[in-house]
Amino acid sequence: MINENIRTAFQSFAGNKLRTLLSMVGIVIGVASVVAITAYGASASESIKRQIAKSGLETIMVMMGRDAGGESLRLFKEELAPELEEIEGVLQAMPVNQRSVTFRAGKQSATDTIVTALPGFVPLFDIEAAEGRFLSEADLTERSPVVVLGAELAATLFPSGGAVGSYLRVLGQNPQQLRIVGVLAKKSDAMGMNFDSTAFVPRTTYLTRIARPARPDRFIVRADGSKDPAATAKRIETFFFDLTGKSNAARVMSPSTVAETLSGVTDTLTTFLTGVAAISLVVGGIGIMNIMLVSVTERTREIGIRKAVGAPPRAILSQFLVEAVVLTGTGGLLGVAVGAGASYAAVKALSYPFVISPAACAVAWLVSAGTGIFFGLYPAARAARLDPVAALSYE
Amino acid sequence: MSAEWAGPVVLAEGLERSYEVGEEKVLALRGVSIRIERGDMTAIMGPSGSGKSTLMHLIGCLDSPTGGRILIDGVEAQDMSQTELARLRRERIGFVFQTFNLLPRLSILENAALPLRYAGVPNRLRLERAAAALEAVGLGDRTRHRPGQLSGGQRQRAAIARALINEPALILADEPTGALDQTTGRAILDLFRDINERGTTIVMVTHDPAVAASCRSTIRLRDGLIEEAGPTAFFEATAEGDSE
Ligand SMILES: Nc1ncnc2c1ncn2[C@@H]1O[C@H](COP(=O)(O)OP(=O)(O)O)[C@@H](O)[C@H]1O
Ligand SMILES: [Mg+2]
Repeated sequence: MINENIRTAFQSFAGNKLRTLLSMVGIVIGVASVVAITAYGASASESIKRQIAKSGLETIMVMMGRDAGGESLRLFKEELAPELEEIEGVLQAMPVNQRSVTFRAGKQSATDTIVTALPGFVPLFDIEAAEGRFLSEADLTERSPVVVLGAELAATLFPSGGAVGSYLRVLGQNPQQLRIVGVLAKKSDAMGMNFDSTAFVPRTTYLTRIARPARPDRFIVRADGSKDPAATAKRIETFFFDLTGKSNAARVMSPSTVAETLSGVTDTLTTFLTGVAAISLVVGGIGIMNIMLVSVTERTREIGIRKAVGAPPRAILSQFLVEAVVLTGTGGLLGVAVGAGASYAAVKALSYPFVISPAACAVAWLVSAGTGIFFGLYPAARAARLDPVAALSYE
Repeated sequence: MSAEWAGPVVLAEGLERSYEVGEEKVLALRGVSIRIERGDMTAIMGPSGSGKSTLMHLIGCLDSPTGGRILIDGVEAQDMSQTELARLRRERIGFVFQTFNLLPRLSILENAALPLRYAGVPNRLRLERAAAALEAVGLGDRTRHRPGQLSGGQRQRAAIARALINEPALILADEPTGALDQTTGRAILDLFRDINERGTTIVMVTHDPAVAASCRSTIRLRDGLIEEAGPTAFFEATAEGDSE
């Protein structure tokens, strides 16, 4: 009987293609937005999760805060490192400086970031050398004139390869020649650092040969992952507050705080937009109800004929109910396809990983079918209640 | 109450049907008693507005009387619900209308098969039986056509095939030749006579004395009451008095 009704529904749509399509638009938009929004939300949080996984939960960035006038509070100094390491949960505190410099190798040159690095970076940032090696403890103690290049920087300076073992010059008042000991594997951003276009030099080498910064830009803290890095980050904030009496003395960023903030924003947005989508489903449902009422009126005579040949009220009810559900269900399928396509395009444009929950699609589709039942019931009941004689004589 | 019922196919006693039109009460039937025997072919005549269609609707279980009793094939129908009436219609009654009332988007094969859908017959079997019914009314080579592609006479044949498909005890036809030219009307009438000769009871409304003449009995209505009823032969003298 259901099969029969579905076939009848498609027959009736075939006679009214444009109207059928237009009547589904509301449902398509509603379902498409639900699917797109949830897929976008899921993809965004997956992207955040992956970034955290990449940089590890153990990384905490400590940046110098700014006072009310936007002036940097110049309180960082090299000697804070051992003090920070006293804080519970901190394994290592690494002062870091970076600046933009011009590199030259043969005829090629590039202006990019040079960062002071320590071997402690390797586990923290999951650093992997594509060729050669990363900086070693010995490079640090010997202040070796060596450098490790990010993948893109190496490709710019050595378009035909062969970076490892070659030399590059860091231009400036005091140009330096550095030997390249390694090139890193390509890697996406972690904690706001772009590894691919960065050169890493031993901190000791940097301080003696390249620049003499008055103070570190930041501390990169390796936290004990088993001791709640978020709490450790809080303790670091407290440490700087105790030191200066200012609440904004340092900006402490841990992946978990970043993730919390981001996913908080995403969640709010998702909830809000899902509400909007739900409203559009209701609007779509009312559109369906309207078209079904029109359809019942137009087909009064058909209903009369069916009744005359023996269709009981139930059969008429289910015929029109199935028609409404087929309408919204088809709209729902289209909506899932459109929503998945749109979110895929958006997510790929933002180079997030694409995550779509089949459960969310199924729920959105079921809701669309349910909309058909809800908004189709009244028109269908009206059709079922029609008086056979009156329906047969309807002009 | 079943096919073995040997009594009259239609037995009505004091049938009344009134309509509320605003404050007024219109009495379309004011106490009609009839008896139609199995195998009979009956004409219902009478001027326009005399209650012919109303009576047909009650006999056909499309409508319920506001007073009186009606038994269809031995089953009391006056107090039935819509669902029960629908069952009676699909099991025991076939309708033929003046304007055919075929579904325009379906082929005549599907149209003829429609009653079987509500009788729960599987689709394949339905189409087989519909094809046989169309064959029987001379439309065996037109089954795939839609009503719009056929002439009036062919459409009425398709409608008759639909009415026959349930093997009903009773076929009701409300002015079945009213929309057809005379020659086509005659052919349809011949078809009805064939059907009747094979045992199906037929009741038809007509204005045409010639049509009535080919029915065994006639019921003449006026103002919601039976003016006369009996074997058609007795009517011949007054038949042309049927005013429109
Ligand atoms: N639905 C209705 N509402 C009000 N009056 C009706 C309705 N149907 C029929 N009537 C009235 O009942 C009377 C009989 O109608 P009908 O049975 O259609 O006559 P006939 O078929 O003999 O021409 C007429 O006076 C008509 O106006
Ligand atoms: Mg009439």
